[in-house]
Amino acid sequence: MSRRVYLDHNASTPVHPEVLAEMLPFFSEQFGNPSSVHGFGREARAGLDLARERVARFLAVAPEEIVFTSGGTESDNLGVKGLAWARGRGHLITSKVEHHAVLRACQWLEGQGFAVTYVGVDGHGMVDPDDVKRAIRPDTIGISIMHANSEVGTVQPVGAIGAIARVAGVPFHVDAVQTFGKIDLDLADIDALSFSGHKIYGPKGVAGLWIRKGTKMVSVQHGGEHERRRRAGTENVPGIVGLGKAVEVRARDMHEERRRVTALRDRLWEGIRARVPDARLNGHPTERLPGTANISYRGVESESVVLGLDLKGIGVSAGSACTSGNVEPSYVLVAMGAPLDWAVGAVRHSLGRSTTAEDIDYVVESVEPIVRKLRATMPVGVA
Amino acid sequence: MRYSPALLDHFLNPRNAGLMQEPDGVGVDEYEGCGDLARFFLRVREGRVSAVRFQTYGCGPTIAASSAASERVTGRGVEELLSLESQEVEDAVDGLPDDRKHAAEVVAGALRAAALDALRRPRGGGH
Repeated sequence: MSRRVYLDHNASTPVHPEVLAEMLPFFSEQFGNPSSVHGFGREARAGLDLARERVARFLAVAPEEIVFTSGGTESDNLGVKGLAWARGRGHLITSKVEHHAVLRACQWLEGQGFAVTYVGVDGHGMVDPDDVKRAIRPDTIGISIMHANSEVGTVQPVGAIGAIARVAGVPFHVDAVQTFGKIDLDLADIDALSFSGHKIYGPKGVAGLWIRKGTKMVSVQHGGEHERRRRAGTENVPGIVGLGKAVEVRARDMHEERRRVTALRDRLWEGIRARVPDARLNGHPTERLPGTANISYRGVESESVVLGLDLKGIGVSAGSACTSGNVEPSYVLVAMGAPLDWAVGAVRHSLGRSTTAEDIDYVVESVEPIVRKLRATMPVGVA
Repeated sequence: MRYSPALLDHFLNPRNAGLMQEPDGVGVDEYEGCGDLARFFLRVREGRVSAVRFQTYGCGPTIAASSAASERVTGRGVEELLSLESQEVEDAVDGLPDDRKHAAEVVAGALRAAALDALRRPRGGGH
């Protein structure tokens, strides 16, 4: 079989064998509803409680502050809308490079009468904490800034932003979906944190929101008394058990892996830079997710590079989308001020625990002829 | 598979890509709203296309459609090319997904424009 290399870990990751083993009994033997009083229910409840404890221990918070959800998108919606609705009206601050789950929730809230300031980023994709400070108004009721951007990997100064929010007395939500279990985060000045399972070798369809005790937050969906009435609906027990185990495994492995993956990420960029002319790295040179390298090939359309690499068995993702005849450069790169001919040629490589040096060398060797051939078919003057 | 084997083959090994010295006809077409652009160069002998070259900027299907169409129109009468339809270009790559139909349109448009340019030149495109 020909070589296959998966460099799309920011999109999703394979479930870790230890995680899968822990989940399996909860599909069949321990299948009960954790809200039931009988023994079957209590078995499921025990799985749920253990997972909650594991996540809480990892974050160094109280277990009852954890709310499990169906995914990062739901966590972000609950974080942003829950904060806003609990205050009824007012002004929110977020950034232009947030995930759509936060951006579109904020846009929707604007339609409901809330005001939103979208702060910009610098050329590396970084928010300036002073911009957040300047955006604070007397009626500001919430700030939501991501920990790291999924496309370019830039890690935001959430510590400094949190300190500003704390002084101003404004609750601070952080979308940590891309960093949870990958890099450390100090929660001292944070009030709510979104995290997810399938970015850290847990299953899809399960995530969570940590809500600091005392933070006013209302539910987005209503029903039973689950999750201390903050998120109605029977818990996804096997998924939550998997998330809990994934977190435990990350606590054990993440620091060693961070060091290893960062070195591979840099090897990838150095290799490409040495071989492919007119290539550049998007995102912050150092304050960046360990496994993320977003690289632009000037004048080439990223989807063509993705297709070319796919035919070599390599999975990466395109930074621009050309659907139904409409080319859309990444809004993140646009916010960073990237020129259009660079922005449409952006390719994201995201590495993970299975990535090897041989994989990286194979990608480096594969990408050069693809970009060279694509450039050979280009009309002069378009680039 | 999203794309046909024929399309992938043309994408990986584009035929007739590049510039042409002193072409007899040149045509460009661009897809509005999208960055896709195709430019075709024709060499014409006795009213027939004797050689084709193209330069294309766009997603994989547009590059593949350019290559496949360049092979298909070689040897054909220039006047015939004036009525080249995008469906024929699409057929040359064994079909396109709905959101990539514009690849065939931009290629057909550029080839029609190149044929028109060849016919309009003083020597009628056949010297």
